[in-house]
Amino acid sequence: MDGLVEKNKIMLRNYLKIAWRNLRRNKTFTFLNVLGLSVAFAVSILLAMSSFYELSFENFHKNKDRIFGVYSEQQTAQGPKAGTTQPTPFATALRDEVPGIAQITRVLEGGALVIQGNKEMTLDVIWVDPNYFSMFTFPLLQGKKGDELQNLTSVVLSEDAALKLFGSINVIGETVSVLINGKEKPFSVGAITKKNPSNTSFGFEMAIRFENNSEYNQTKDSWNAQYHQVYLQLEENLSAASFETNTQNFVSSHYQEAIENAKRDGAVANKQGLFRMLKLLPLKDHRFTSYKKGQAVASRSTPYLILGVAFLILFIACVNFINMRIAMSAQRLKEIGMRKTLGARKKQLFVQFWSESLLVFVISICFGLLLSVLLINDFKTIFRTEASLTLLATPIILGSFVALVFAITVLVGGYPALLMSRIGTIQSLKGKVLMKGKNRVRDILIVVQFGIAILLISGTLVLRGQIEFMRNINLGFDKEQVISFPLNGKKNSYTALNLLKHELKGNPDILSVSGADNNLGMGKDGSLSSSVIGFEYKGKVTHSNFLVIDYNYVPTLGLELVKGRNFTSAADSLGVLINEAMAKQLGEKDPLAITLNINGDTQSPVYGVLKDYHFQGLDKSIEPIMFFMSRDLGLSYAYVKVRPENLAKSFDTVESTWQKIEPNASFLGSFLNDNIDRTFRREKSLATMITSGSIIAIILSCIGLFAMSMLIVAQRTKEIGIRKVIGASVGSIAFMLTKDFLKLVAIAFIIATPIAWYFLYNWLQNYAFRINLNWWLFAIAGVMVLGIATVTIGLKTIKAARANPVQSLRTE
Amino acid sequence: MLLQLNNIFKWVQSGGQRVFLLKDINLKVEEGEFISIMGPSGSGKSTLLNVMGMLDGFNEGEYNFLEESVHSLKEKQRANLYKQYIGFVFQAYHLLDELTVYENLEMPLLYKKVGSSERKALVADMLDKFNIVGKQKLFPSQLSGGQQQLVGIARALISSPKLILADEPTGNLNSKQGEEIMEIFKELNNEGVTIIQVTHSEKNAEYGSRIINLLDGRKV
Repeated sequence: MDGLVEKNKIMLRNYLKIAWRNLRRNKTFTFLNVLGLSVAFAVSILLAMSSFYELSFENFHKNKDRIFGVYSEQQTAQGPKAGTTQPTPFATALRDEVPGIAQITRVLEGGALVIQGNKEMTLDVIWVDPNYFSMFTFPLLQGKKGDELQNLTSVVLSEDAALKLFGSINVIGETVSVLINGKEKPFSVGAITKKNPSNTSFGFEMAIRFENNSEYNQTKDSWNAQYHQVYLQLEENLSAASFETNTQNFVSSHYQEAIENAKRDGAVANKQGLFRMLKLLPLKDHRFTSYKKGQAVASRSTPYLILGVAFLILFIACVNFINMRIAMSAQRLKEIGMRKTLGARKKQLFVQFWSESLLVFVISICFGLLLSVLLINDFKTIFRTEASLTLLATPIILGSFVALVFAITVLVGGYPALLMSRIGTIQSLKGKVLMKGKNRVRDILIVVQFGIAILLISGTLVLRGQIEFMRNINLGFDKEQVISFPLNGKKNSYTALNLLKHELKGNPDILSVSGADNNLGMGKDGSLSSSVIGFEYKGKVTHSNFLVIDYNYVPTLGLELVKGRNFTSAADSLGVLINEAMAKQLGEKDPLAITLNINGDTQSPVYGVLKDYHFQGLDKSIEPIMFFMSRDLGLSYAYVKVRPENLAKSFDTVESTWQKIEPNASFLGSFLNDNIDRTFRREKSLATMITSGSIIAIILSCIGLFAMSMLIVAQRTKEIGIRKVIGASVGSIAFMLTKDFLKLVAIAFIIATPIAWYFLYNWLQNYAFRINLNWWLFAIAGVMVLGIATVTIGLKTIKAARANPVQSLRTE
Repeated sequence: MLLQLNNIFKWVQSGGQRVFLLKDINLKVEEGEFISIMGPSGSGKSTLLNVMGMLDGFNEGEYNFLEESVHSLKEKQRANLYKQYIGFVFQAYHLLDELTVYENLEMPLLYKKVGSSERKALVADMLDKFNIVGKQKLFPSQLSGGQQQLVGIARALISSPKLILADEPTGNLNSKQGEEIMEIFKELNNEGVTIIQVTHSEKNAEYGSRIINLLDGRKV
């Protein structure tokens, strides 16, 4: 028994020794193999990491499977619509009237000015019910579990917010003030949570009882003001679908009027014959959800796409490895034959060749891991992900990683080893057997490899094209010269804005100053919001976005009036401006002649019609919008238009002026074109990922192609010599050698293009404003790949074609 | 005069020393000659043949081929020269394995960009001349050694060269096949083709009109 173990040990050492020597002997190939595989492993690890990070959102909540967001599917005359916000009394009523709710909470997100001592800062605040902390998992550092928000005047702070405000986390019972409706209201700190994990959309810096929010008192009993979200936790064993069915009576009793109106306006009932339904959206889908035709659609295609790219890159590297190993084996036929005559059995040969592959793989994985650790910080900055390697350190992922690597090694290392160990003794001693005839597997693998490269390159081109398109499209307002920033100080927004106007008056670089209650694009405060209002016009319910603006909003943003006039005096606060889409929705020939009954008994005249502009993202078509100039409604953002010269200096002026007006508030201003860029951050980082993926894919494919051409040339030197002697020119030989490969690239192009077309076409459907898929985009991708492949192969083939034939023709 | 070698030297550098492959070779070949080069292994026979065939260069001396000074030509011009006037025959035949007999014969004409109809006629002539019409669709591996060499010679002849260089053309053949090949060379020579062959066999050397003996790169 001991002898057997000893023998196996010697055998193993022998295998590894020979493997090592063989790898050293073929330095170029070993280098290319290890390089390709290491890069592929590193890139795949990083990409998989960011994909798993995306997919891990909200996974840490213990109740994640039982928590749902509540939204309504409403049938309107314009088609189905989704309503994600609810009125104040909704949550309590739902809990009392529909069975099966274990816990429920209202959630309103927003920034609020928090004052502690002489510190003032805007924090991310959530206004929630006490249940929030028993539903969602935010572990406490300080305070008692279970009564985080039992008191109306207590607040919960996150660790980092506590440090920002107090410089310490031992602050239970300390007082902070929050500016609500223009008044400072004192609260006492009830609990401190651990720093929010980055993979949640439910994080906060401060949590305050819902009843304290600025809208609460006015809307306590109103079912019309829908402004916050509701999350509930179902009781065990109750399915979301049966809960949805149970809500039908609740809906028909509370929304009777809305349903009647919908029927009257000509809405069509949905499949269940209903005009309004409550629906549940699983917490896990929250990050991936968009609303289409009233339905929540959760699409995880982006993280899966990235994971797919990771696999494709790994696949390409593995293909290289297989191809090179098979091609190389031709050089080792004599060795195989020799070993067989010396008594090696098939199994032993297999193990020997396989252990060589294993060695290469182990080395590559080590390098790959090292590389990914070295690159991780750059990766995180470039791709704006909070992903970390620790995220991958779960038993399931680690286990599947090891299993995957093992499977790859067995398959990728095993296949060539199997081929090699199977060759007959005499055949292999004579040499030249594996390479005889067509090598189907190799050709197919090369086609797939280049197909992937073409797919990724055309994806890159289209993605970048769409982003460029979105950056350059005329949005209908001036984005280069306008700075916007949140009015985030203690002062009343109109007071602050007037001070700003006063201070900037006379400065030649400042053209005009205005304000509105919403931003354009996404500012540095990271907030995106929209307000929709519904009212009856000519017996029909009409929905419109609305924006509260200050006098010269229209000229400040360079909006174009197509009809009528702008607001001119304080007396104009009665009327509204509308955009063309709104005018169209109203269906009036002369919109200036009508009045709208928007609020109570007031009849609001339409003063003017503005040309449509993109006040929302380009994934949406331009919706109807109305503009009010009402002093009763506060402003949230200031807009300053500056001269195109000295942009940076003007920006500094605006910043210092704001600091003077609100010394304790931070200045979060930026130019509108930066705001617009911020709204397609996701597209940008996706584009960067796909671009780097495709660059790596093409580099890896070329490494493979280079190695293949090297081997093919080596195998055909004699033929090249003969052809030269009987009169072939360098060009014709280089062409002959290159042609076969280029044919494969051409086939790859033909196969990959329709697939790329299909995916990209579908992706572009997400955007209401998009580029056209032009054939030349794909032609560029094809020509690029063809060009790169030609150069790669050409490096080797031209050299071979120029070589002196005498060497290769020498008779052995 | 077809070609003339004046004081040709060829050497390689080995361990800091010059090892001479050819030493002071002087040779004049008239059109219509049939020359045999003889000598032991390593005496420089093949090297001399390659130099004459312009496949290989030399370090010193002058080489004139049909009034052209080969030593002062650029590589491309030299290649054009040998493609036009010289045909090669090898010991190992060096046919293209994946092409049929017909295609092997056609190849040099394709490289010379000869028109299709002329090509057909020329290939047909050659097949006829060497009695291999019946074998035109076969691949080299389906032929005997002698037949393969026949195809090799036919291929060398097809672009009607002035000179045929043959490196041990019968080295891989049995004596009967060898004799046949030599008879063919004799006939070709009678038709006016200049032939220079390298051979080990006294008997084959006798077919030629002149014998050149080499030893350690020198003419003896």
